Amino acid sequence: MSAAVAVPVPGRLGDRRTRTLAYVGLAVLVVLGVLVAGTLAGDAAQTTDLADRNLGPSAEHWFGTDRLGRDMLARTLAGLRLSLVVGVAAAAVSAVVALLLASAAAVFGGVVDRAVGWLVDLFLALPHLVLLVLLAFALGGGTGAVVAAVALTHWPTLTRVLRGRAREVMSSDYVAVSRQLGRGRWWIARHHLAGHLTGHFVVGTVLLFPHAILHEAALSFLGLGVDPGQPSIGILLAESMRYLTAGAWWLAVLPGLCLLVVVKLVDAIGENTRALLDPRSHHL
Amino acid sequence: MGLHGRTARAVAIGAVVVSAVTACGGGTAGTTGGGGAPSELRLAIGGEPEDGYDPTLGWGRYGSPLFQSTLLARDQDLDVVPDLATDWSVSDDGLVWTVDIRTDAVFTDGEPVTATDVAYTFTTASRSGGLTDVTALREAVAVDEDTVELRLERPQSTFVNRLVSLGIVPEHAHGPDYARDPIGSGPFRLVQWDPGQQLIVERNDDYYGEQPAFERIVFQFTGEDASLAAASAGQVDMVAVPSQLAGTEVPGMRLVAVPSVDNRGIVFPYLPDDGRTTDDGTPIGNDVTSDLAVRQAINVAVDRQALVDGVLEGHGSPATGPVDGLPWGEPAAAVEDADPDRAEQLLEQAGWVDGDGDGVREKAGVRAAFTLLYPADDSLRQGLALAVADMLGPVGIEVDAAGESWDVIDQRLHADAVLFGWGSHDPTEMYNLYSSTRAGVEYWNPGFYADEAVDAHLEAAMAATDEETANREWRAAQYDGAGTGFGPSGDAAWAWLVNLDHTYLVDECLDVGTPQIEPHGHGWPVTAGIAGWQWTC
Repeated sequence: MSAAVAVPVPGRLGDRRTRTLAYVGLAVLVVLGVLVAGTLAGDAAQTTDLADRNLGPSAEHWFGTDRLGRDMLARTLAGLRLSLVVGVAAAAVSAVVALLLASAAAVFGGVVDRAVGWLVDLFLALPHLVLLVLLAFALGGGTGAVVAAVALTHWPTLTRVLRGRAREVMSSDYVAVSRQLGRGRWWIARHHLAGHLTGHFVVGTVLLFPHAILHEAALSFLGLGVDPGQPSIGILLAESMRYLTAGAWWLAVLPGLCLLVVVKLVDAIGENTRALLDPRSHHL
Repeated sequence: MGLHGRTARAVAIGAVVVSAVTACGGGTAGTTGGGGAPSELRLAIGGEPEDGYDPTLGWGRYGSPLFQSTLLARDQDLDVVPDLATDWSVSDDGLVWTVDIRTDAVFTDGEPVTATDVAYTFTTASRSGGLTDVTALREAVAVDEDTVELRLERPQSTFVNRLVSLGIVPEHAHGPDYARDPIGSGPFRLVQWDPGQQLIVERNDDYYGEQPAFERIVFQFTGEDASLAAASAGQVDMVAVPSQLAGTEVPGMRLVAVPSVDNRGIVFPYLPDDGRTTDDGTPIGNDVTSDLAVRQAINVAVDRQALVDGVLEGHGSPATGPVDGLPWGEPAAAVEDADPDRAEQLLEQAGWVDGDGDGVREKAGVRAAFTLLYPADDSLRQGLALAVADMLGPVGIEVDAAGESWDVIDQRLHADAVLFGWGSHDPTEMYNLYSSTRAGVEYWNPGFYADEAVDAHLEAAMAATDEETANREWRAAQYDGAGTGFGPSGDAAWAWLVNLDHTYLVDECLDVGTPQIEPHGHGWPVTAGIAGWQWTC
């Protein structure tokens, strides 16, 4: 509907839309490429070659090799894949929690709504990195613990957004009319609420990815994350610390840069999706 | 275990602050330069004892308890020499050890060291169940002022190691606070201990033995990063460094690599998997590693020198047994390694062939594949495990190297291969690793290895009353010259891989002599010769 209103400047908007779409498509392709390459590199990432240890970047080993002669490009790709998988899992769980809480607050209102609001405030009041470390520690480390810790600390912001949007919808005239026509809560939730929340939900979920990925790396770096035998980016960075003084810069710099690029790409996918789904809020 | 890295980092930060403060205070010695030999040494060699400095609770179990003196000691060649004792003898039945002690030794509170103190120490240690294993002791009796009789439950030739490692405590001043404030007759006395930070000791001028050249020694308990930083800043005179960092150049310091029996090796489940479990339900047995040919092939195929060069950065030596270089080690138990062709031959002969062309051999429907567990936070063992797995792939054995927590390893150590680290100056450890009586007890003999002939040699070694007989039996248990033994040329119950060198960066002016071959564990063992250390600038 809003697109129809904005039609007066057709060329520009069309171009922008195409460009954004192309950009999102490209970013998605790159991220998928990393996933596939990381999966294929799984074995190479662990293969030692004691004759080729601690080599700097070269044509043969683009990212150099580590102390056991393992190829750092393979390890970086496998690490990015692991980060993405953990990130997707954590963001998805987090988003589902947010959706459930926000829907419950909107549908039931009253005490439930206040309780959800209180929970959100409580979690937002706690420094979330501290909470993350505590949770990961309490859950005993490991991939599952990272997913759980990241998921449990990242739902409040999205919940707040979804709850606000849901309240707006629930207090609108057409919902009031629906109610007066005798529609039940669930009917209203399905027919009026769901449609309005979808856009926010999708964008919010995508925007959770980069957070989740970075926090996985942080936890793994601190030794609370994924199993140290697996090549996650956090593990690679933690391992590299010892060798930086010996001049092995490639162990940290290249995986670190790759993590940055992937996080930035996923972030761009989220932002551009928002621009596509909700152009008005994007311009606010 | 997972905590280790974080704690280390936290300690490192604390240590930097501490060393900055001490630097401002101008309290450092050793490298202050100028006025000849310093009176104080600063060492960052790690190994702070959590439980304090009470020998009856385990302090000094690697020897040289610093504050206390021991009845006997080991010299640089690891031969047993008198210390507090002047003479000792063992009865013909091996049950009574009679020890004469010197009469000129005094505790740092001025009281003389008597046979009663010795008897008290042994009795207390045997009752405390501490880490110094004195369980074979029935009773310790002071026969007169300077003679003590140690009466055993059963003959135990390795009991001599208790005389070497158990520091004598004063009966009149031994209580609950002793561990924090020890009184002894050793070369040093404790001045101050700040747990987690430092231990300050001063020379005991009443010590009967050789007087150390340094009046005061400060042991700094800092993480490896902080220790190395302190060394670079000239704040410490000696720092223990992991082998991966041993190549670090620090101006004014040189690398001292001390050979050790601190070893790493793979234990194989020795029994086939026929559904047996331990009493608490831990499964026992593995159908692949229970095959002699597989264990021998692994021992032959692994290139140990490559592991030393590649994983230990050259700071170590190939290990063929658990006691390499010690008087009770049997060199003939070793096999020629780095020979994949011979390994393949052994496997072929035993019927392991790659029938389906997937690169992994099979025999009677069993694939030659097993899991090799290592503690996940140990980067050295991770390196060894991965490298070994890659060395065995080409001969048709598939090894899945898996880093796990000790909790998980505890549940699987009888059914999967595990990369362990051992190494002791006491052959009791070898007994515990291979005797069928120790199968599945704590971390001893996790593979449930059992061989009658080997057991007989181990028991004979334990029961021997003289060292020569004991050592002969210890060696025969490894390889008896006729194909029997637990070593690689016999049952190949383990595949020992490497002995670590313990690496230290030492001030160029500090002469630490020729240190002993060190046991498992960095740190305290190096202080065994501290009395002989000299400043040479």
